[in-house]
Amino acid sequence: MTLDLIKDILLATVPLLIIFPTMFALTTWVERKALARIQNRIGPNKVGVPLTPYGGKLSLFGLGQPAADGIKMLFKENIVPTGADRLFHFLAPILSLIPSMLVLCFLPLDFPWLNGEQNSVKAFMLDGAVIFFFAITGLNTLAVFMAGWASRNKYSLLGGMRAIAQMVSYEIPLVLSAVVVVMIVGSLNADNIAKAQEGWNWFVFQPWGLAAFVIFFIGALAETNRSPFDLPEAESEIIAGYFTEYSGFKFALFFLGEYIAMFAISGLAVTLFLGAGAGPGVESLSWLKIFWFLTKVCILIGVMIWLRGTLPRLRVDQLMGFAWKFLLPLSILNIFVAGFAWHIKDANKETATSVVVWIASIIILYAAAKGLDRVNRAKVKPRTYQYGE
Amino acid sequence: MSVLGSGIFKGMAVTLKNFVGSYFDKERLTTNEYAWQANDKLPERAGDYPKEEAEQLSDTTTVTQYSRNFPMLLHDAGEPMDTVRCVACQICERECPPQCIYIEKSTEKKERSGNKAQFYPATFDIDVSVCMSCQICVEVCPFDAIVMNSQFELSTPSRFGELLLRRDDLLKSNDYYYKIHPEEASARDKRIADEKAAKEAKKKAAEAAKKKAAEAKSKSEAEAKAKEEAEAASKPTEPSDTPPAESTATPSTEPPATPTTEPEKEGSAE
Repeated sequence: MTLDLIKDILLATVPLLIIFPTMFALTTWVERKALARIQNRIGPNKVGVPLTPYGGKLSLFGLGQPAADGIKMLFKENIVPTGADRLFHFLAPILSLIPSMLVLCFLPLDFPWLNGEQNSVKAFMLDGAVIFFFAITGLNTLAVFMAGWASRNKYSLLGGMRAIAQMVSYEIPLVLSAVVVVMIVGSLNADNIAKAQEGWNWFVFQPWGLAAFVIFFIGALAETNRSPFDLPEAESEIIAGYFTEYSGFKFALFFLGEYIAMFAISGLAVTLFLGAGAGPGVESLSWLKIFWFLTKVCILIGVMIWLRGTLPRLRVDQLMGFAWKFLLPLSILNIFVAGFAWHIKDANKETATSVVVWIASIIILYAAAKGLDRVNRAKVKPRTYQYGE
Repeated sequence: MSVLGSGIFKGMAVTLKNFVGSYFDKERLTTNEYAWQANDKLPERAGDYPKEEAEQLSDTTTVTQYSRNFPMLLHDAGEPMDTVRCVACQICERECPPQCIYIEKSTEKKERSGNKAQFYPATFDIDVSVCMSCQICVEVCPFDAIVMNSQFELSTPSRFGELLLRRDDLLKSNDYYYKIHPEEASARDKRIADEKAAKEAKKKAAEAAKKKAAEAKSKSEAEAKAKEEAEAASKPTEPSDTPPAESTATPSTEPPATPTTEPEKEGSAE
């Protein structure tokens, strides 16, 4: 009994601990390559696998780079500033990694080698998975501020404070856009949400779903400190933000935590809006569910990298204004639109009504977004130059 | 009225074009693959490799003529120390922001081929581990003796001492300069030639002017003498207006000096 339990736990958690760190390693390489190509550079292409000790190597487009980076990180000196709070300086990277790893357990990944009699055995089966997800990712903010505070460095502190301001404001549109899906499905369980989208009934194809997905994705970018919301670690302004004083393996942990958080939140976006494991051929081959799920996550990560290569960083006031004046009203309106659409559809099951509702909600949401954009932009005066021209 | 968020998509289209284009368009991907072979013998010392200028040239062909790395000392055609342009004036040493240049002036002047005898640098060291490639030494040099090299193969196995480039490592011919920075070198040589021509023209003009002035002076002197003599001869005839003129003239130490040249001399003395 206990042995079976241990076996089940290992079978459910070990794949997560293998898949996602491997994806992290590959993503760092892909990101460097893609950013390089966007800027018309080559990117890492030298580090490969040595074939013999005396020379000759398999270059593989620099795929050895993640391994080389990892080895370098492991052997680097661990520097703690003199005035730093040693305990919290040590705890912060661990605390930043744990929540993002923990959150992976809630993703609806059905590994085929788990026993099929039960619906699915997961690392962590919870009815309130979505709520728990947000509760735990919120801990990440604490870790970031802990790092900034414990480092005893003004840049670190500034980065930490920026991170708190940003994460607290973007958490709200993030949760409110997820609420829409929870409301429609009537369940907080990730499996039920996935089941509701089987076939091609992905929520992203609904107007409210699309709006919620866009808001969720923007919020996810801000939550994981990705460009263009990477203010907490803005290199050109505050060195490296909250991890300025981190080196060696602690820095690697921060890095790992950040990327795992990216995977986790992309996984949640896929679960909520992109049909989780749904895709062609899933009915006959159940393991394809995992493939489709991870493919969708990778596509979202790719878009994140693409955006990073495209958009410049926002200013702090723009960042806050965007969250509170644009995303928040829009996500609240979206809840109402989704509710009305669902009720009308429920009362009247004809196709004509659903088409009308579909078009009407698109128009309402777009007009609202456009109006909000206008209202927010009207206050921006044309820039005057004191010394320029 | 533009579609909401269209700016982001426009930007993403640009980056996508660059991303895809860099795989197909050779013009777009300007980075050169570094031509390094595993069997290449590595230099032991920064100045050692490659010793020959011709060999060094192969090293700098991978970079553009506008690239610059660390300074070098120019010499004209001939034996390097015979034709070195540097006269050890130490201006660059004083101006260098990170103080990476160390110069020792020679004790006596040395005959240069084609030029008059000048001091030369007995020691001229540049610590390239300190140099920040700011090119200020190049800008301040009044003799066009120090310019930027574009050689970048400078790595050595040791951190100290071996990155100190000595005078003989730094000496490079003007031909080499022409090969690595053709535009800059010809512009510089043109400027030097122009300056030289202008200087000579000025010198010639000055000589001509001097000659003319001397001629004019002797002429005016002769005239003044004649006038004075004439005045002296006519003096006794008009006694009424001579006393004030004579009272001012008496303190002057040189009674025969002419009134026309006197104010000029005073001005130049002051």
